[in-house]
Amino acid sequence: MFDINWIELFVTLVKIGFILFVTVGFFAPILTWVERKQSAIMQDRIGANRADIMGFTALGLFHILADGLKMFTKEDFIPDGANRVLHTMSPIIALIPAIVTFAVVPFGGVYDLFGVKVNLVVSDLDVGLLFVFAIASLATYGYAIAGWSSNNNWSLLGSLRVASQMISYEVTMGLTIVGVLMVYGTMKLTEIGAAQESLWMWGIFLQPVGFFMFFAASIAENKRIPFDNPEAESELVAGYFTEYSGLKFGMFFMAEFIEMVTIAAIVTILFFGAWHIPFLTTETLLSWFHILGTTGANLIVMLIHVGVFFAKVIFFIWFQMTIRWTLPRFRYDQIMKLGWKILLPLSLANILVTGIVILAVK
Amino acid sequence: MAYTVSRNIKLTWWERLYLPEVIRGIIITSRHFFKNLFGFIPFFLGKKKDREIFTVYYPEQMAKLPIAYRGRPVLAVNEKGRHNCVACGLCEAACPAYCIDIIPAENTGKQNEVERWPKEFTIDYAVCIFCGNCEEACPEEAIFMSDDFEISMLDRSKMKYNLQQLSVPIEKLKDRIEFTRRMYGKWNY
Repeated sequence: MFDINWIELFVTLVKIGFILFVTVGFFAPILTWVERKQSAIMQDRIGANRADIMGFTALGLFHILADGLKMFTKEDFIPDGANRVLHTMSPIIALIPAIVTFAVVPFGGVYDLFGVKVNLVVSDLDVGLLFVFAIASLATYGYAIAGWSSNNNWSLLGSLRVASQMISYEVTMGLTIVGVLMVYGTMKLTEIGAAQESLWMWGIFLQPVGFFMFFAASIAENKRIPFDNPEAESELVAGYFTEYSGLKFGMFFMAEFIEMVTIAAIVTILFFGAWHIPFLTTETLLSWFHILGTTGANLIVMLIHVGVFFAKVIFFIWFQMTIRWTLPRFRYDQIMKLGWKILLPLSLANILVTGIVILAVK
Repeated sequence: MAYTVSRNIKLTWWERLYLPEVIRGIIITSRHFFKNLFGFIPFFLGKKKDREIFTVYYPEQMAKLPIAYRGRPVLAVNEKGRHNCVACGLCEAACPAYCIDIIPAENTGKQNEVERWPKEFTIDYAVCIFCGNCEEACPEEAIFMSDDFEISMLDRSKMKYNLQQLSVPIEKLKDRIEFTRRMYGKWNY
């Protein structure tokens, strides 16, 4: 008969629940508020603060509720001539990969809790990094189908731009992480994270050029300003989701925000020491709390590490928001030029230099 | 004063590197962000007066409008409680939208009375385009553009203001009178 490891099943379910809570339940709604409020603060404005419950505005946090209510109650409109099946499916195709990529993202190390080794990742795949890019690229189908099925010229143009941009920057992204793989010698995100225990092993010091290229390429993948040609408001109304309303529109937005979190998490793991605190190894932390027993110390260290990891993620979300509200949009030819003529040769050169340095060090 | 804009700016090599300029921009926006963050998000930490936020909470607060602002035209009532208007009809003629309607009344021979005054004076704000031509045409300093712009109604017929609704004491229009004298040079000839 099947030999089900109930403890492992329980632990995995808890981790899945945690990931779903953090992405869909916390980050996706809170980022709609953060985007408005941060842009307002950066531009010397006040920002959303009018939605109130019994006179309390809570800094505009109730706008999240108001938005959700509005999206639920709005008419779900499908235009004439649209492909109804694909039109309904495409937001799902766009949203699901954004959440699924989190399956391989580790948000902490391995901890010894109640005699069980708890690895803080839902699925510790050997090809974790490849899985992230494979699944994230699937979201492109959602955007391309959304544009095509809407029977709208703006949508079609937007989805064509999504496809071309995705192809251009996927190459750079893939070649950039080759440098990271060469340095750490593994594709497991957990091992890459564990390898960055000391500050000087962080990816930003080993792959400084790689970080900038990866970050630029991943923002381009997420179609945010300065690479937001697919949804350029001033050119294409709203790009591929022009014909979407209600909760389907909300799903596209959720996908964008969750992808932001994914990018922040991947950048944190690859380049910024994952869940590690600079100059504080896990052993040091464990020895501080060893009076609490193995489980207690591990529990506290686990909470610290998860907190540190999400603090870093939040920093990178903030950074992406800052970039989004600082830079103007690229022209289409500029995006292609940057992708093919600058980033691609640079990433190839990055691999070459990394290889030479690794050879020289060995 | 000619203002020339140079369109062919040659970028220096430092600017063409792109990344340093991006970082410079991000530093500027981040400076504003953190400055304002401790100014008003935790509003109890920062001083409200010192912050650099331009936004005005409109229905509760009013923006300070410049004196040249053209709100709804009003009729000035002088210190004696009479309208400055002599119902000459110049504003009616100057109005490009034909929103002013005047029915004059005349003195029939009483001593110590003004010669002419408006019996009816109607401005239809639904038609008015707030150009200020009536103010410019007026020889008697009787009609002025006020700073009031809150004249939206649910009923179009209510947008027609009569003489009583249009009247505003002249003390409230002091600044605007100064401004029109300066602007249109009415008393210079």
